[in-house]
Amino acid sequence: MSRFWMILIEAFPQILLQGIKVTLPLTAVSFFFALIISVIVAMIQYADIPVLKQICRFYIWLIRGTPLLVQLYVIFYGLPSVGIYLDAWPAAIFVLSFNEGAYMAETVRGALESIPVGQVEAGQCVGLSYLQIMWHIVLPQAFKVAFPSLSNSLIGLLKETSLATTITITEMIRQAQIINSKHYETLGLYCEVAIIYLAFCTILTWIQRAAEKRLNRVGGRTEND
Amino acid sequence: MIEVKGLRKSFGDNEVLKGVDLTIEKGDVVVILGPSGSGKTTILRCINFLEKASEGTMVFDGETFDLSSMNRKDIHRLRMKTAFVFQNYNLFANMTVLRNVEIGLTAARGMGKAEAEEIALRMLEKVGLSDKRDAYPSQLSGGQQQRVAIARALASSPEVIYFDEPTSALDPELIGEVLAVMRDLADEGMTMVVVTHEMNFARNISNKVLFLEDGNVIESAPTKQFFEAPSSERAKAFVRMITADRTVREDNKQKEI
Ligand SMILES: Nc1ncnc2c1ncn2[C@@H]1O[C@H](COP(=O)(O)OP(=O)(O)O)[C@@H](O)[C@H]1O
Ligand SMILES: [Mg+2]
Repeated sequence: MSRFWMILIEAFPQILLQGIKVTLPLTAVSFFFALIISVIVAMIQYADIPVLKQICRFYIWLIRGTPLLVQLYVIFYGLPSVGIYLDAWPAAIFVLSFNEGAYMAETVRGALESIPVGQVEAGQCVGLSYLQIMWHIVLPQAFKVAFPSLSNSLIGLLKETSLATTITITEMIRQAQIINSKHYETLGLYCEVAIIYLAFCTILTWIQRAAEKRLNRVGGRTEND
Repeated sequence: MIEVKGLRKSFGDNEVLKGVDLTIEKGDVVVILGPSGSGKTTILRCINFLEKASEGTMVFDGETFDLSSMNRKDIHRLRMKTAFVFQNYNLFANMTVLRNVEIGLTAARGMGKAEAEEIALRMLEKVGLSDKRDAYPSQLSGGQQQRVAIARALASSPEVIYFDEPTSALDPELIGEVLAVMRDLADEGMTMVVVTHEMNFARNISNKVLFLEDGNVIESAPTKQFFEAPSSERAKAFVRMITADRTVREDNKQKEI
C-alpha cells in the first residue's frame, strides 16, 4: 500500500477519537445551554417584560453583529488582562452557548409568535395561568415549529466547534495539524477531517428526519393555516 | 346575576363602546345584535377581561368590580365561573379532543384525571362527539370543532357562557348542528350571552335582545317586543336587512341545488 494511504489509515482513528472526545461533547453541551438560553430569551420577549426585553435585544444584537472567532478571542485571550481567567473548555462552552443561543432565540421567538393568539386566549378563558398556557399549549406547538431550524443550528454548531482549535482545544482539525506536521500529507488529512464532519452531520440529519416524522405523527398538524 | 354598567372602551382615539349597560339574569339567553364593527365582540371581550375596559362596573353574583382596574386574582376568580366560545373555535391544536375538554378541569382546577375524564366524556356525549375523543382538532370539521369548544366551555359548569358569533365561520350546512347544541343548552336553562346574526336563533331561543350600533345600545328589550314592535327605526331596518339577506342567500342556495 502506498505511503499516502498508510498515513491516512493511521491518522483516521486518532482524528475520529478527538471527534468523539472533543467535537461531539462540546457540541452537545453547548447546544444544551444554547437551548436553555434561547428559550428564556425568547419567552422574555414573547411576554414583553420591560427592561429584560431590552437586555435580550441588546444581547442578540451584540452576538449577531460580531464574529464567533472574535468572541472566542475576547473571552479566552482578552479577559485575563482584567483578571478573569477561564480554561479553554469553559471558555469554549460559554462562547458557543451564548453565540448559538442568540440565533436560536430568534428561531424560538418566531415559533412562539406563530402560535395563534386565540389559543392563548382560550387558555385564559378556561382558567389556565400564564405559565400553564405556555407549558401545555404554546411551547409544545412552538417546539414543533422550531424543530427544523433548531436542528439546523445544531448542525451549524457542530462545525463551529472547529474554531475551538484557536483557543488551544485539540479537536479534530488540531489533531490533523499535529499529524500533518510529522507527515506532510495536507490534502489527504484535511479531506479526512472533512469526511468525518460529513459523517457526523449526516447522522444528525437522519436523526432529525426520524424525529420530525415522529413529531408530525403525534399531535396532528399545527393550525397555522 | 351579572350587571354591567357604563362600559366604555377605546382603542387609541377610537371609542368603540360608548357606555353600554347590560343585565343578565340567571337562565337568560341574551342575544347581542348589530352591524359589523358596532362593538359586539368588544363587549364580550371586556366582560371576560380579554380586553381591558376604559370605564365601567360589573356586579357579578353580588360583588362589584371596576372593569377598568381588575386585579389578576379577581380576573382569575371570575373566569372560573364563566366560559367563552370563539368565532374560530380556538381549540388547542396539540391536544386531543378529550384533553381539550378536560384541561380546564385538571390543570386549572386541580381535579383528578379520572373524574375530569368522566366529566369531559359526558360533555362530549352531550355535543354528540364521544367517538371523536382521540381525534385532533385538525381532523375535525368546523362544526365539530365548535361543538368540542362548547363541550370545553361546559366542562367547568360555568354560570354563564359567552358566545361570539359561534356559527359565522362555518359552512352553511354545518351551522345547524351547532345551533342545535346551543338550543339544547338554552332548554336546560344555561345562562348565555350570544353574539349572532342567526335571526331564527335570536327570535326563537333568546329572551332578551341588545341592539348595538356604533358602540351605543340602541335598543334593549325582551325578544318578542324587539321583533314585533321595535321602538327604533334602526333596529327595524336592521332586522329587515338581515332577514332579507338571509332569504336571498337561501334562495341562491336553492337555485344552486
Ligand atoms: N384590538 C383592536 N385594536 C384596535 N381596534 C379594534 C380592536 N378590536 C376591535 N377594534 C375596533 O373596534 C370596533 C368594534 O369591533 P368589534 O367589537 O370587533 O365589532 P363587532 O364584533 O360588532 O363586529 C371596530 O371598529 C374595530 O375596528
Ligand atoms: Mg365580532
